[in-house]
Amino acid sequence: MISQVFILSSKGDHLIYKDFRGEAGSDVVGVFYEKVTALTGDQPPVVMSHKDLHFVHVRQGGLYWVATTTADSSPFTIIEFLNRLTALVKDYCGSLSEKSVQMNFALIYELLDEIVDYGYIQTTSSDVLKNFIQTEAVSSKPFSLFDLSNVGLFGAETQQSKVAPSSAATRPIQSSREQGGKSEIFVDVIERMSVVIGSNGVLMKADIEGEIKVKCYMPSCSEMRIGLNEEFSIGKSQLRGYGAAVRVDECSFHQAVRLDEFDTHRILRLCPSQGEQTVMQYQLSDDLPSAPPFRLFPTIERDSGGRLLMYLKLRCDLPPKSAAINVCATIPVPKGSVSLSQELSSPDQSAELKLQSRAVDWQIPRFPGGTQLSALFKLEVPGLSSASMLEVGPVGLSFELPKITVTGLQIRFLRLSPVQPGPSQRWVRYVTHSDSYTIRI
Amino acid sequence: MTDSKYFTTTKKGEIFELKAELNSDKKEKKKEAVKKVIASMTVGKDVSALFPDVVNCMQTDNLELKKLVYLYLMNYAKSQPDMAIMAVNTFVKDCEDPNPLIRALAVRTMGCIRVDKITEYLCEPLRKCLKDEDPYVRKTAAVCVAKLHDINAQLVEDQGFLDTLKDLISDSNPMVVANAVAALSEIAESHPNSNLLDLNPQTINKLLTALNECTEWGQIFILDCLANYTPRDDRESQSICERVTPRLSHANSAVVLSAVKVLMKFMEMLPKDLDYYGTLLKKLAPPLVTLLSAEPELQYVALRNINLIVQRRPEILKHEMKVFFVKYNDPIYVKLEKLDIMIRLASQANIAQVLAELKEYATEVDVDFVRKAVRAIGRCAIKVEQSAERCVSTLLDLIQTKVNYVVQEAIVVIKDIFRKYPNKYESVIATLCENLDSLDEPEARAAMIWIVGEYAERIDNADELLESFLEGFHDESTQVQLQLLTAIVKLFLKKPTETQELVQQVLSLATQDSDNPDLRDRGYIYWRLLSTDPVAAKEVVLAEKPLISEETDLIEPTLLEELICHIGTLASVYHKPPSAFVEGSRGVQHKRLPGSAGSGDSVDSPDTASAAGVSEAPPAVIPSQGDLLGDLLNLDLTPPTATGPPPAPSSGLQMGAMDLLGGGLDSLMGDESEPLGGDLGGSPALGAGFGAPPAAMPASFNAPVSGGLDDLFDLGGGVGMPMGSYSPPKTVWLPAMKAKGLEISGTFARRAGVIQMEMTLTNKAMSVMTDFAIQFNRNSFGLAPAGPLQILTPLSPNQSIEAALPLSTVGPVMKMEPLTNLQVAVKNNIDVFYFSCQYPISMLFVEDGKMERQVFLATWKDIPNDNESQFQIKDCHLNSDAASNKLQGSNVFTIAKRTVEGQDMLYQSMKLTNGIWVLAELRVQTGNPNYTVSLKCRAPEVSQCVFQSYEAMLKN
Repeated sequence: MISQVFILSSKGDHLIYKDFRGEAGSDVVGVFYEKVTALTGDQPPVVMSHKDLHFVHVRQGGLYWVATTTADSSPFTIIEFLNRLTALVKDYCGSLSEKSVQMNFALIYELLDEIVDYGYIQTTSSDVLKNFIQTEAVSSKPFSLFDLSNVGLFGAETQQSKVAPSSAATRPIQSSREQGGKSEIFVDVIERMSVVIGSNGVLMKADIEGEIKVKCYMPSCSEMRIGLNEEFSIGKSQLRGYGAAVRVDECSFHQAVRLDEFDTHRILRLCPSQGEQTVMQYQLSDDLPSAPPFRLFPTIERDSGGRLLMYLKLRCDLPPKSAAINVCATIPVPKGSVSLSQELSSPDQSAELKLQSRAVDWQIPRFPGGTQLSALFKLEVPGLSSASMLEVGPVGLSFELPKITVTGLQIRFLRLSPVQPGPSQRWVRYVTHSDSYTIRI
Repeated sequence: MTDSKYFTTTKKGEIFELKAELNSDKKEKKKEAVKKVIASMTVGKDVSALFPDVVNCMQTDNLELKKLVYLYLMNYAKSQPDMAIMAVNTFVKDCEDPNPLIRALAVRTMGCIRVDKITEYLCEPLRKCLKDEDPYVRKTAAVCVAKLHDINAQLVEDQGFLDTLKDLISDSNPMVVANAVAALSEIAESHPNSNLLDLNPQTINKLLTALNECTEWGQIFILDCLANYTPRDDRESQSICERVTPRLSHANSAVVLSAVKVLMKFMEMLPKDLDYYGTLLKKLAPPLVTLLSAEPELQYVALRNINLIVQRRPEILKHEMKVFFVKYNDPIYVKLEKLDIMIRLASQANIAQVLAELKEYATEVDVDFVRKAVRAIGRCAIKVEQSAERCVSTLLDLIQTKVNYVVQEAIVVIKDIFRKYPNKYESVIATLCENLDSLDEPEARAAMIWIVGEYAERIDNADELLESFLEGFHDESTQVQLQLLTAIVKLFLKKPTETQELVQQVLSLATQDSDNPDLRDRGYIYWRLLSTDPVAAKEVVLAEKPLISEETDLIEPTLLEELICHIGTLASVYHKPPSAFVEGSRGVQHKRLPGSAGSGDSVDSPDTASAAGVSEAPPAVIPSQGDLLGDLLNLDLTPPTATGPPPAPSSGLQMGAMDLLGGGLDSLMGDESEPLGGDLGGSPALGAGFGAPPAAMPASFNAPVSGGLDDLFDLGGGVGMPMGSYSPPKTVWLPAMKAKGLEISGTFARRAGVIQMEMTLTNKAMSVMTDFAIQFNRNSFGLAPAGPLQILTPLSPNQSIEAALPLSTVGPVMKMEPLTNLQVAVKNNIDVFYFSCQYPISMLFVEDGKMERQVFLATWKDIPNDNESQFQIKDCHLNSDAASNKLQGSNVFTIAKRTVEGQDMLYQSMKLTNGIWVLAELRVQTGNPNYTVSLKCRAPEVSQCVFQSYEAMLKN
């Protein structure tokens, strides 16, 4: 049972405070802020206790979203709830920020009243909630259809020929029904990969976590059908045909998804709620359908002047037409490294020695498939010993792969029924992010 | 125009301005004003002065405005209870509104106004709303019952709301069902023994049906409620598991975890050879792995839970080692948890992989994590014997890096490896000694010194090494000092000729120059040992050390069992039982896993709270030493005579008990021919206290002994107790949780005229237990151990031992409540533990208890009728002869038999060890399973106990 819910700004200002059970006073808000700011990095921030009260919080949009409880309740429930709450507030207010929460406090109180009663969570479905909510959202900036200057996908510059305006995804859902806004639907396939490649170049571990998200601004959409690759298979034993199969180990679905056509035709049927929802989550481990996107060939030695030489060749194994963007390689270096000199293969790259994190950051804005880049780093390390050579590595890579899913999952089609009156836009976007891509040296 | 301006008004006369605006005629203006008020409320300003003005805005048909006003009301009604009454009429009216939104809103808000006066007005509207046609109103009303119960529990019961709530479990709308379940679960927690949430196969079926239809949050309520149910047999358990399993693929991780909890609990009941058991194990792994792909916060909570699951059932995740490999961008708290689970899953099959990972981690940047990784390598060596050699060589590689903290950590774990595998890896000592100078942490220094001392004979310059440490003796930490002292003494015993000076130096440093009492004491002990008997010293100091156990960091099995019942909750994150951090009675019941199929009777308990608890009910544990001391103290006040009247009570409740006690003592000790004082006749308090046999003691962990009496009386009637050559089944007297891992269960028996206390002692702790001894508190019949407790061998972990303790009846006497209560203290090398248990009074029936017929007749007449008590024994299907034979086995002697109108009358006598005679008349009517027994005794207090013995004897 949730005792209280409150939202704090990053500076500790009270934005929202709601007490459901009268078990504790509002003074605990201050206590929470003291505790959370006093946390050190290695303490798990998940649950904190003060006398009989337990705080569970998440940080989103630069705000603290906190729930308290006095009983032995489930932190999973509370964290999930807080995540849903942030999603709902985002859906209703358009974006998550101190300003939008402050402007819409009446709306958020009303939401909270409907979502939680006496600490029991009632519903977090925007479809159900729209029947009850009276207050209008207040947008921080007027929504403009022509705001196409800031084009991006997940914050990244992309080369897509047809792109959705970024502001399209940050408007309140209500406006579509009130103001007759443009009817649009976004289906995003997002994959995160974590990979470990051993020092001998062997792939030691590879995990993909993926999800299909739908963001809906359709006032009158009763049903939508999403067709996945027909040769999509789940589980280790179940193989369909040869070759091009798209396989995942596990997948789970949003409870609103009907799966009657899934087994035969790989079609997900659902009635999308207004706003954002994760329709399907899936994961795959170890058995990647293609080679990992990056390989590294390092040479590390000491030169005659006692400097540390790192010669790195980084190869991108994506198909030639694709490219990775915002690639950043982080190379840990021995402690006591003082300065760095570098030779990079093209001018748009950059490299920097970060003393605080004891690492060299090598930035590559765009990295086309099938190409290879190289870099030579010379590090000044006073008192360099053979032991400190061991401190080099492992190299961590972060990147984005637009228009690519590593599992090969594709949306075959997207059908809406009844057929939408007037112009409607359907967007399908793919992206793969690095979650943790480690190459050992 | 935006709402943010509401936060910026800081003018002085703001309250007055708001007042004016609130009383404005324009609706828009009113709404704006209320918003401003609520904004001030949020930032913590006191706007309670506006109460009447805001309440005036309440009567409106604008739903948005109404909601805002209600928001205000909820916050301030408590501080203005009189004013809150003003709002009542509007509430009552709104509850009749044609719009279900308004009806629900009104009933929801009313429940949140925690003012006593309002509650009575709430009842009628609430009753209507509970039966409302709209499910939205019904589900809100269901929650309102819980709110009202929190304010005024009596009112809720009197008004019959609980029954209505129970009916809602069968509602057609799953949301209503979910809220009713949630409300009932919470109410039931504050009434642990009530039968509120009557879980039976029918309701379970309803819940399972609702489970498929309701929202994810409702599913959590229902799953948590299911987890409290104890299925009757493995088939029911399997069918519930089958219906819960689909929840494992839910996208909401809270639903998944609740489902995992239900499955983990019900799995206990499934036989392991069942195919379904294996299927279920396989199904549990993927959802747990999926949880690890969530945000770090959820991952951490998931890992804490997986840690428990892995300890209980490692087979679930044994193939999933890879998912616990750390990612470089994991937060450190996630990394540490993963490391812990990796070691728990380490086995011969995957050890190579694990070691390769750990070696990588040991070269990472984060110092804490690196240290943990090095420790983990040592733990692997100890856990998986086959890998020890590989681990040692990995550690040596790490030592070669000369990274200071890695070296130190490696030395600490190598010491443990030496302890586990003596005389195997000593070849590495030379390498360790090379790093002596770089050690600056006490733990590493102490470990190194231990190694040098332990293997002094193989290290040529051991004396030099130790001497070098000795120079800065006073600057070292205690840990190092103690270790150094022991190491030098070891060295001396091994190489006495060269090291005499050194040992004298360290002994004088330890005994004369140190302020630390531990160090001084140890120094003196060594000194005296060495000076009186060097051979003995050698035996003591160089004795073979017990091997260290494989897993020193497991959670105690009893605690683990309880935590498994709390999967997904805060308890599972803290790894502490809820009683350790939740205040009050709510939610503090100790939950236990159900027994596996075939082990004992299955439990059919209607109770949600302590479903499994009732059947395995341990006897009341004496809460603390203090209470026992109190009793002993009281006892000392009573002169130990049988005749004198008890001294005048001087104070308090305990003395009240003393009065009865003294009187009872008289009657028990009194000569049988001496007539009893009338004032001693049945004291109701005593009567109530009598004779719940051990099998029926309720689980009153927290209740003091006397507080549990009412419960005892309730239960006393219907429970059987075998007799004579039979003795009652063993029950747990001392649960392991109360006694640092020592569990004692036992029973009493009379064998060949000797009363025996038969116990099973089980060691559920991690360390060996020795030095057992037992003592009784004074008790009603002077029971005392006739000899010492014979447990000669040490009790190693997870071992059980049977002990039979012969008892005499010549010990000190004090009347107990209940009469057959026995308070016992058991000591071992760890601590002293106290518990109480009850013995069947039939143990005390002596062999020469047969009375002459004439004496019987005379005595029967002599005892006043006041002392006669009559009882019914129901459902006994023996004929009178069989009954008589059966009773004879337990020293209840039939003196005469008479048959009147088809009714057999048996006249029986028995004699207790202290000479009290009990006379009985047993009436048995052919064809009627109900016997009547009349008991006459000069000490009527025993009648109740004797009757219960009768019942137990006859039914066994």
